[in-house]
Amino acid sequence: MEGGGDDLGEPHEGQRLRRNALVLLCFAGIACARHAAAPVSTPLPVSAAPAATRFYFVDVAAQAGVTRVTWAGRPGKDHLLDSAGTGAAFLDYDRDGRLDLYIVNGWRLDGARVVERGRNALYRGLPGGRFEDVTDRSGAGGEGEWGAGVAVADYDAGGWPDLLVTNFGRNVLYRNRGDGTFENVAAPLGLASPGWNTGAAFFDADGDGDLDLYVASYIDCTLEDVLHAKPTLDWKGLEKVAAGPFGFKGAPDHYFRSEGGKRFVDATAEAGLEDRALGFGFAVRAADFDGDGDPDLYVANDSDPNYLYRNEGNGTFREVGVWSGCALDANGAAQASMGIATDDVNGDGLLDVLVTNFSQDFSTLYRGIGGGLFEDASEQTGVGPITYLPMSWGAAFADFDNDGDLDLVIANGHIYPQIDRHPEVAGTFGQRNLLLENRGGRFYDVTAQAGPGFETVASSRGLAVGDFDNDGDLDILITNLDAPPTLLRNDSRAGSWIEIDCELPGGRLNPIGTTVTLRAGGRTQRRDIASGDSYMSSHDPRLHFGLGDAQTVETIDVRWPGGSHTLRKDVAARRLVTIRKGS
Amino acid sequence: MTLRGAGRALGSATVFAATLVVGAGAVLAQGGPAPGRTPAEMVATYNTLADAILAVKNTETNLVRTILGATYAHARVELERARKAIKAADAKASETALENLAADVAEMGTEGDSAVGAVRKRLLEGGHHHHADGEAKGIYDEGYVVVTRVAKQSFLDASKAIGQMARAPKADGLEAEWKEVETTWASLMKDNG
Repeated sequence: MEGGGDDLGEPHEGQRLRRNALVLLCFAGIACARHAAAPVSTPLPVSAAPAATRFYFVDVAAQAGVTRVTWAGRPGKDHLLDSAGTGAAFLDYDRDGRLDLYIVNGWRLDGARVVERGRNALYRGLPGGRFEDVTDRSGAGGEGEWGAGVAVADYDAGGWPDLLVTNFGRNVLYRNRGDGTFENVAAPLGLASPGWNTGAAFFDADGDGDLDLYVASYIDCTLEDVLHAKPTLDWKGLEKVAAGPFGFKGAPDHYFRSEGGKRFVDATAEAGLEDRALGFGFAVRAADFDGDGDPDLYVANDSDPNYLYRNEGNGTFREVGVWSGCALDANGAAQASMGIATDDVNGDGLLDVLVTNFSQDFSTLYRGIGGGLFEDASEQTGVGPITYLPMSWGAAFADFDNDGDLDLVIANGHIYPQIDRHPEVAGTFGQRNLLLENRGGRFYDVTAQAGPGFETVASSRGLAVGDFDNDGDLDILITNLDAPPTLLRNDSRAGSWIEIDCELPGGRLNPIGTTVTLRAGGRTQRRDIASGDSYMSSHDPRLHFGLGDAQTVETIDVRWPGGSHTLRKDVAARRLVTIRKGS
Repeated sequence: MTLRGAGRALGSATVFAATLVVGAGAVLAQGGPAPGRTPAEMVATYNTLADAILAVKNTETNLVRTILGATYAHARVELERARKAIKAADAKASETALENLAADVAEMGTEGDSAVGAVRKRLLEGGHHHHADGEAKGIYDEGYVVVTRVAKQSFLDASKAIGQMARAPKADGLEAEWKEVETTWASLMKDNG
């Protein structure tokens, strides 16, 4: 065991009392003084949850300056690319202690004509909860490609978070120079890999200390196919809609082995990660699903069985999804899977997996039962029936009310705008996102009581969670088709909390695969650091724990990649704690 | 029928298709049919083509049976390995054998591995449903040829149960699950014999 660790409560100290606007103004002033480069920013007005409600979210995107529209092909969504949408990420690219946002963008089409190649957006977090669009000066606009997803990781151990942007086209790897600018190094490093790339995850697959990369792919098609697509698929005898994914050939996923962060080598077959079914891959999440200490990989496939690649411990993988119980639904059917959320939902120490699916089908909650095995608990937990009607994409388990258990947020939206002419059949193209509260392991739909932020009707896709205003509760970033993103500030009546930022020696941030197990208030909770999650998105890499009434955390056990531990005891709650390996 | 048999039938289909082209050409050369009647030669050629089409469908059944048979045979090998390992209290060997057995039984449920699934997907994309009627009645999943929905569920349940035994092997539990697999297998083979 290693001891030690530093506390870094600075951004939280003032904002803990956020509902007092005066205090917040003072904090903003202090923060500005400390970060001289930050423009002066008037804090956003705060709101308080009405007395009768527990959850309260407000969409502050426009007020905060997060306004760039994410384009999605044509209004009629003639091709599936028009409706696949994009991912988003919370990150701290400039390491100033405030979260920044990265939003991937698509293209805008008019028939077969490209009207606009949407630019990705990097928003720098300012004091007071506002953001500044720094895309131009950062050079992280996306290189003109039709964007899909984003994964954030310090791939080269340079001490700064880098950005992998997957595209319908060549991938982009933005190396963070550390001076507020980025350079695209995908091609020289061997990652450009043109195609319809979707979800991606960095993880140390072979245990050699550097970050390898898995990139899922959807269908094999060309830009010409996309530009000249017509809606030809018969939808319930009522409408012609975009064809696919049946009728298209699936594109193979790729695994890139890192050679010390200097170069990536396509080692897909060698590692046993061959996409033999040519599944229509969307979301990817690496985690230690079988609890044996090395990272496994889950891939959500649209209309094909999902994959669970078990890490065999020698840099190779075995696909075990079907018999381990997490590839199909309870009836043995493959579902049209889009997004992933994974965490220990019921506090039994085992990872559970939620997979979001097409409309008029359950999102499936696979409950971990030990040894990397799962059972379908969608019905029992209430998740299935609640999610039956909407079409679901990004998702995250998170403790939004800081009561010590994990709630669930899901981004929704259909892919066929034509269904708006028949809302009685399968709802509408624009849909409300869902908030599900965890009460003793069963989930309840609290969307209608979750404040104005959950009243928005849009066709949402990517979703990431993070505490952008550093007030100890988790906020939500969501991308929407042909609309600006939604930034849901969490103003709920929340309990106690702690956030943990993990660092390796030399300042390398948020080591992917680190697991933190915490004991407080009679509960044991566990989180892990991942890069690539939800639907083509990346969450705040700092780990957040709701603590209920507890004011002290009894133990924090950090398990670092490689297996060493750092243990801290009796840590005061309501602050951000930075724990450095070996300090 | 063996894989060699399947190849023979596919070869026959090619010959029949060639016959169709030659036959149609011969009819046209003779100056066309009598008014109101399809030429007898064309009907005969169509009959020949029908034989070929039906033969291809039978061949598909036999090929899938062969795929399943190979998987079943492999499962039996893994079963024996698991039995021996459990008897010898060799935890590592029994874990490996039971996981392999679980994977085999799962593949019986999904009528082949993911590579076979990709072929099935191609056929569905081309509009080919081996049991269109059975799918409509809920007897078969889309594109499945031999394994019914009931059998699929039985195999998948057994595979998960066997997978769960991998880290806590139990001889009697294994035998009970294998009995389920055998019963389902026998029923399928009887219906598709």
